[in-house]
This record gives sequence, C-alpha cells and structure tokens, in this order.
Amino acid sequence: MPAGNVSLEKEKLKIIPHVIVIGAGSTGSATAHDLALRGLRVTVIERGEVAFGTTGRNHCLLHSGGRYCVTDRESAIECIDENMILRKIMPDLLELNDGLFVALTEADLAFKERFLEGCAACHIPATEISVKQALAIEPFLNPKILAAVRVPDGVFEPFRFCLAFLATARENGAAVRTYSEVTDLVCSGKNVTGVKILDHRTGQKETLNADLIVNAAGPWAGEIAAKAEVSVPEIPTAGVMVALDCRLNNMVLNRLNKPSDGDIVVPQRATSVIGTTSWKVDDPDLITIPAEHVERMITQGEQLMPAVRNVPMRAKMAVARPLIAVGGTEARDVSRTFECFDHARDGMNGFVTIAGGKTTTARAMAQKVADIVCRKLDVAAECRTRDTLLVSYRLFFQQADPRNGSSVRSGQNRSFQRSGVNEHA
Amino acid sequence: MAILDSRRVSRAGRWVDVRHRRLGMWAYALNRITGIGLVVYLYLHLCILSLLTRGQSAWDSFVSLARSPFYLALDVILLAGILIHGLNGLRIALTGCGIGAGAQKAIFTMLMIVSAIALAVAALKIFHI
Amino acid sequence: MPKVPLQIFRYKAGEPSRYDTCTVDIPDSAHVIDAIDAAWAVHDPSLTFRRACHHSSCGSCAIRINGVEKLPCVTKLSDVWDGRTPLRLDPLRNFPVVSDLVVDISSFFQRMSAADMAITCEAEAFLPFTVDSFAVAALERKAVELPEDFSRFNRFEQCIECGICMSACPTMAADDRFLGPAGLAAIYQARHKTDDPKKVEHLLGLADGEHGVWRCHSAFECTEACPQAVDPAGKIMALRRELIARRFSKMWGK
Repeated sequence: MPAGNVSLEKEKLKIIPHVIVIGAGSTGSATAHDLALRGLRVTVIERGEVAFGTTGRNHCLLHSGGRYCVTDRESAIECIDENMILRKIMPDLLELNDGLFVALTEADLAFKERFLEGCAACHIPATEISVKQALAIEPFLNPKILAAVRVPDGVFEPFRFCLAFLATARENGAAVRTYSEVTDLVCSGKNVTGVKILDHRTGQKETLNADLIVNAAGPWAGEIAAKAEVSVPEIPTAGVMVALDCRLNNMVLNRLNKPSDGDIVVPQRATSVIGTTSWKVDDPDLITIPAEHVERMITQGEQLMPAVRNVPMRAKMAVARPLIAVGGTEARDVSRTFECFDHARDGMNGFVTIAGGKTTTARAMAQKVADIVCRKLDVAAECRTRDTLLVSYRLFFQQADPRNGSSVRSGQNRSFQRSGVNEHA
Repeated sequence: MAILDSRRVSRAGRWVDVRHRRLGMWAYALNRITGIGLVVYLYLHLCILSLLTRGQSAWDSFVSLARSPFYLALDVILLAGILIHGLNGLRIALTGCGIGAGAQKAIFTMLMIVSAIALAVAALKIFHI
Repeated sequence: MPKVPLQIFRYKAGEPSRYDTCTVDIPDSAHVIDAIDAAWAVHDPSLTFRRACHHSSCGSCAIRINGVEKLPCVTKLSDVWDGRTPLRLDPLRNFPVVSDLVVDISSFFQRMSAADMAITCEAEAFLPFTVDSFAVAALERKAVELPEDFSRFNRFEQCIECGICMSACPTMAADDRFLGPAGLAAIYQARHKTDDPKKVEHLLGLADGEHGVWRCHSAFECTEACPQAVDPAGKIMALRRELIARRFSKMWGK
C-alpha cells in the first residue's frame, strides 16, 4: 500500500470530537453551524422549539451599528461588519431597505456631528439626506424632523434566521434535539463530560457524552452554569416591544441620539415594531409586561410617527436579553458586546459559556467560541462561516435525524416535486 | 418516535365537519351530503322503474303510494337536494374557473335564497295536486 | 388579574391523548400566547408548543383556539374568552401530532420547498401596508418615493408558512399528497415573480398535477382562516384560470 494511503487510514482512526451546544437561539445556531463546518460532531440541545427564548422575541433589527457608534464603538464595528456578512450568507432572508436616524429636537440636531463622526470612525456608510427627501420616502415620518441620516440598517426574522444556520449545520452532520431540556451536567471531578436531558416529547431521560459543552443558553446561561457549580456574570434584562396592526414605514426609523427607550421603529412585513425598554428580571421564564412600558412605546413611537397613536396594537412581547455585567449599573449602560467564559479558569474543564451579544453579531460570537473550542480540542480548522452561503431554512423541518429521533418521520420522505427542481431558495 | 395520526375514517369525517367553520365549508359539506343523497335516490328510482317490468298492477299500486303525503314530502326533500346541489354546483363551476371567487359567499347566499324560493313554490304546487 | 381556565390537548408518545386543565393568572390585555407561556412556566414544563417572534411573523405558534385555527400571539384573550368557559387549545388538524400542541410540519415544508417561493419580495409603493384593513381604515394611503439608488423596497412575503390554511382545508384531510392551499398559493406567487419560462412551466405543471389545483373543492376555508390575508383560495382559482386559458389556446393552436 502506498505511503499516502497509510496516512489516510490514520486520519480516519482519529476520533472526531463531539461538542454539545446548549441553546438553539441565534448564538447556539450559529455556533453549531461554525463547528459543523469545521468538521466537528455537534449536537444542539434546546428545551423548546428553535428560537424559543430571547432570539425569538427580539426586535429583528439588522444593526448598521449607527446606534452604538458614539457610545460603544466596539459594538458598532462588530455590527457593521456582521451586517455585511449576513447580507452575503443569507441574502434571501432579509428586508434590506436601509434605515434613517432622525433628529426631533435641537439636542438631537447637536448630536448629529458626533453621530456622523462615529459612523466614519466605525466605517458605517452614513449619508445625510434633506428633510424634504426623508418625508417623501417616509410619508408617515413626523413632519417636524430637523435632520435625517441614512444608514444600512436591515430587518431579519429570527425564527428563519436560526433555522437557516441549523439546517446548514445539519447538512454538515450536526444533530439538533429540540424539546429536550438539560436537567443536569455530568461532571467527573473537574471535568464536565456530558449532559442529562429530558425529552419533553416522550418524557424519556437520556445522558449524552461530549468532549466539550458550549453553554449558549442566553439569559438561562447562569442557570446552566450553576449545574457545574460555576457562574456567569449575567444580568437578564427584559425589554418590551409593541407591534402595530399596520406597517407605517419602509425603512428602520431611529432617534438621532444616544440609545434610550422606544427610540427605534422596525418595520417588518405588514407591521411596525416599536421598541424597547430595559429592566432587570429575576426569572426570565415569567415576565409580566408592565402596562406603562407599553404606553411608553406608543408615546415614543408617536414622536417619530404621529400616526402610531391611531393604529391598533397587533401584539406585544417581552423577553430577557442576556447582558453581561461589565461596567455600568444602569441597565442601559451595560455593554451589548459579547464574551466567552472558559470555565477552566473557574476549575471546570470541558465547559465554555458564550454570553451577551445580539442576533446581528451571532456569527461573530460563534466564530469566537468555535476558535476557543477548536483550540481546546486540538482541532486545526479555520472558520469558514464568513463566506459560506446558508442553505434554505425550509430544509430544517425536512431533515430526518434518525440517530436522535427528531420529529421527522424518516420513512416519510416523500418528494412533492418533479425531478430537476432546485431545492435551495 | 410514535406520532399521533388520526385514523383515515375520522379524517374522512372532516368532509362534513362544519363546527367552527364558515359559509364555504357549509357549501362544501352540503354538496357532499346532497351528492350522496342524489346517488342513493338514483338507485332507488331505477329500482322503482323496474316495477314496470312486473306488470300494470305492480306499477299502479306504487303510483297510489307515491301520491301519499309522506311520499310528496320525500319529493320536496329530493327537490331541495337537486336545487342545492345543482345551484351550488354552478357556483363551484364558476369560482373554480376563477370567475367570482372573491364573491363566493355572496353568490352562495344568493343561490340558496333562490333555492329556498323555488322550493317553497314547488312545495306548494306539489301539495296541491 | 383574571384567573383564566385552560383546557390543553396533551399527548406523549405511547400514551393515549387527554385534556389537561389548569388556571393561569394573566392580565386582561394579554394574548393567548401569554396564557400558554404561563401554563408552561408555572404549571407544567413538559408542555410542548412552538413560539418565537410573538408578532405573527414567524408563523410557528399556530394552533386551534376553541376549535378555530389562530395565531395565539396576535389573538387577544378578550376576543376568545367569555370570562367563564375554559379556553380549549388544540394542535392544528391535518398534521400528525408529535406531542401536545406540536405537530409534524416536515411534509408541509416539503411542499413549500417544492413551490420554492422566495420569502422576500418587492414591496408595494405605498403606506400603510396592512393585512387588517378594517383596523386601520382611518389612515390615509400615501405614496412613497424611493431613494435615488433604490430600484425597489423589499419585504417579507405575506405568507408566514404557519400551516393554518392546511388545517382548515377539508381536502387536506382526504389527500395526503395534496399540495394544499399554502403550497398552491406559494406556486402562484413564485410563478408571478419569475421570468424564466422553464420555471413557469415547472410550476404550472405542479399546479396542474394530480395533487394540484384540481384537488381543491372550493370550501374556501383557507382564505377565511388565513391570518395574513394571503387569499390562497383566490390564488388557486387564478391558477386554474390560467391553466384553463392555456388549455384552450393549445386546442385552438395559438
């Protein structure tokens, strides 16, 4: 046998490490995709459906970074970079109508210079347009605006966002176990070696072993980490959003000032969503929506678009954001950046938490944690997610996963199409 | 993994399950019920016609039965079935070719009113014979 | 806060199905999804259900509320609860039930993949844009000017792939392979968004097929039940009109 074949045999004998990712929100989904693309065996464990937690109920804003370019430049740069990447890898899953930052008061107008400087410093394309132009493009905009700056904001839909990453991960061999709750982490001395799960569809319990566990459970990351007796400096911070019965704007509308409550109106399909507020919560599973927050959203939204007051409310939602406790005591001051916590530093090996961040930067978060995972598992594989086009989100519910008994009946793979149809949307 | 899948029989029952459904579903269910009714009637009708082969007395005794109020009532029900099935069938033919699909509820209501009037007139005539 | 009694369909593999009752404390202004959430968070974490966006965009939460297909995230409690009778929650019809309120939507997405409708499309050149014209009747329609470098605005398609039309359709119960109102409406949309004649032929071929538009028997329940004003029945009939017209012109040799 030639020498080349012998080394191939040796490669095949090398055991592919198994990584468990806890959480199928944007972070977990993007992480599963990154790790699967690098050739690792991945299992995603999620206690509900995909995007059941924070990601599902987010504001759906594909940030241009303009919101943070003055107060949090690190975040802003992350946002614009990821914005451009997502446009490449999921082009058909985004509403790309740009956004406007509008000045309503003299204070807003004074902020404009700092805003434009900040955008330039963070390489965010920002163009000032005349008030007349802005009102022609957005006829429901408050006619009293004093200035408008256009930025490349976009809109995504969180469920399909996650499904696209997970479907691609599954195409690359990942397994996704939804409705499976992590009841405990299996620890052997100073190592986390697996998870105990309860499958809520069947009531059955199971133990899964892994070489490393990534905790991407968002505001529940602290709860999961506690099972390994380590902690995550996280402050679950809830926010309320209000969706109107009609879409009043085509572009995302932002207040031209520092971030505050109710200063963004994100349009999507046939609705406009006003958000958001901020308050710390103890139990992210049971959040009561304060009526005054809802009223505040209407009042704030009314300032950007007076017609808001006359439109019935279609829905309201609240969910906890997984903010990391770094600097600042006011909920609004806590950074929206993300952080990886390798719990080996806390004395527990095989366990890494990725916390904080926002859906816009999910891919970057995944890259960071996947780099750490590969380093720890001694896997030499580069990140390829920047340039890999994601497959159709529709594939997720069609992919049979007999190994892990997913909800798809593997025998029932009937095709509804004649031959020669391109499956990819 | 076991999946709860309704039995074919109970699924077929959804053809005529009008609970919580709107006018279009009523039309759908009525069409099926009257359709089955008319097929059953057709069979019975042929059976009765076969009495002709059994001679005049057999036929005459049937005709006198057919004049009884009970039978006349059955005739009215039969006519109702024909009107509903026929006129609704016209609606289905029209909307099914893409004509007036948006007005399907209004068309159904109008045709059923026409049926009701025609039926009332016919019933009066039938019972005065 | 009122105490709302719920009657929830429960099913786990290997056990007979049943209804569980529980009472949840939720505000008057709540939506039905909040009630389900409370039942899960407070009473029974083994309750399985779908939800994500909470504002009728993802389409994942569709269920039957008192027998009628609805999206619980945009259904106000006050619109469906009379204040006394337990609110009955069932999974969608015409899909196999995996557990509790979760149904197997694999074959549904196979149909949607076959139709291959892009989930984003061109936006209308006016505002406001709504699926509930009654609610916003007071607002005046306004023309919109595009920015110079924009050839069009874009937005997500009306259809959120929620499966409600499939649950309401009586033919879906009878024919396992019927493309269904969602599939056929998606074929209509895809057909009208493409210039490629091969793709058009393929899509019309699917619509004209054994499990296409001719399986529809005009119940129109899909259009009645659709929460997004997609009007699948109208689209099915429009496809039929086109197919008939094509047949005629072929016969006449045009």
